[in-house]
Amino acid sequence: MAEYKKPLPLITSLSKVFYDGCKENKLLYQQCKDCGEVIFFPKIVCPGCMGENLEWKESAGKGKIFSFTVAYDYAPPEFAGDTPYALAVVNLDEGFSLLTNIVNCDFEKISCDMPVEVMFDPVTPEISLPKFRPVAGV
Amino acid sequence: MHPIRGKAAIVGIGEVPTGHYPERSFIDAAVRVGTMAIRDAGIPKEDIDTIIPIGAVANPLDNANLVCSCLVEEMGLGKTAKSNFQVMSGGSSSANSLKTAVALVNSGLSKAVLVLHCDRLGTGIDFEAAITTFSKSSISQEYESPYGFSQLALAGLLQQRYMHDTGTTERQVAAVVESLRKWAGLNPNAMLRKPRTADEVLDSKVISSPVRKRMMNILADGAAAFIVTSAERAGDLTDTPAYVLGMGSRCTNFTCTAQPQDLFKAWGPACMEAYDMAEIKPTDVRVAEIYDAFPTFILISMELLGLCPRGTAGQIVEAGHTSPGGKLPVSTNGAMMAQGHTGAGGGMAILVEAARQVMGKAGDRQVKNTDIVVETASGGVGMDFHVGVLGREV
Ligand SMILES: [Zn+2]
Repeated sequence: MAEYKKPLPLITSLSKVFYDGCKENKLLYQQCKDCGEVIFFPKIVCPGCMGENLEWKESAGKGKIFSFTVAYDYAPPEFAGDTPYALAVVNLDEGFSLLTNIVNCDFEKISCDMPVEVMFDPVTPEISLPKFRPVAGV
Repeated sequence: MHPIRGKAAIVGIGEVPTGHYPERSFIDAAVRVGTMAIRDAGIPKEDIDTIIPIGAVANPLDNANLVCSCLVEEMGLGKTAKSNFQVMSGGSSSANSLKTAVALVNSGLSKAVLVLHCDRLGTGIDFEAAITTFSKSSISQEYESPYGFSQLALAGLLQQRYMHDTGTTERQVAAVVESLRKWAGLNPNAMLRKPRTADEVLDSKVISSPVRKRMMNILADGAAAFIVTSAERAGDLTDTPAYVLGMGSRCTNFTCTAQPQDLFKAWGPACMEAYDMAEIKPTDVRVAEIYDAFPTFILISMELLGLCPRGTAGQIVEAGHTSPGGKLPVSTNGAMMAQGHTGAGGGMAILVEAARQVMGKAGDRQVKNTDIVVETASGGVGMDFHVGVLGREV
């Protein structure tokens, strides 16, 4: 397997929990046990009530594209050889958003509000990145 | 009435041409705009007791020197200055430094404040380093950078959703560039002064869909400065102060992923706050100096400011109303799309242009009856939204 040269996520005590989940094909997010706030990116304290009583939950991995862009040029240097590639903000059904790549899809067919689902791309033995693809049959 | 409405004013401005000037040193441009603003105000330099240099990003050493009072020494302010400190919030540094300066002169802690920006993003940094800078700052290292995100991609995401929500056409977005280039043609300090039609913009290749090459800004060297003092003192110095009538802002997020998806709900109140403080309505606005970075942001901002109904900004621009001679002049310096992107200086150039229009010093591009001029700024990947209202009379 060729060496992976693109930026890997910064691993902190918080992001480690998230990426450990990804390694097991689980998309994790947080929820505040005090005020119910759905939290993502993972946080140290609840942005709703500043409480620290947070729990990890597993997302069903389904959502809709809020917006997207296909990068053809002027990409960050490590991605210059990968163009064109699609970036999107996806709104998950559980009520949080993430930035990701849209894969396994004709770029011409991507649209706002299109239903997508998570798949995990094992870019290194340690890191799997959650990416999204169109929901089959929609 | 709001207690600080009209109690402070911009009384002097300075600016050097924006562009690629490898022979112009950092300190030369900085000192030049500072002294230009002091002379423009006709204020004794001894009255400048506070210096606020905005952050420079091309060279960390230049910035360290700004922080450590190099301007105080170079401009000979050391016998009377009381404070030199940095205000930095990227593109919105203009608004945050204005807010700071107004508060200082109103409280009596400062007599006059010099706000200054200088940077060399055109020639003081190499192109690859610049792309890297703009693909790494304001982006989550944990959750965003592994996907190849950049501030250019941000422009793509914003334009895509805006077109989806409003039915705005690509040509209407391209028309923003046409309008800005027309203004830049009248601005000797602008970098891109050649006319560019919307159709020519559409002829350029897609870079980060739907953003095309000619919808991108260009990194540049530049510097600008302004001086704030009390309204009382302003009246003694000049017949044409630009009174600070209103300010409003919201700061909502760090990453693009966390940017509110309903900007009207999140940032609309910033506009209302500024208008309420200034005691004006959107229909009172004679000129809108709108911060851009990318053309879609101008369209969204026109709607946030209530200058037109939601979803109609593109039609207004395409019809020519924001261009020279139009009924709603927008970003009369050409904004970053045409004047050039100087780092944290885009907002400074817009704010200085707003003051210039109010003061009647805009030369060939001077708009008539500029009683009320509104200006905006935003930092990071759209982390905040600031609105300022400047006027001829209190
Ligand atoms: Zn909570």
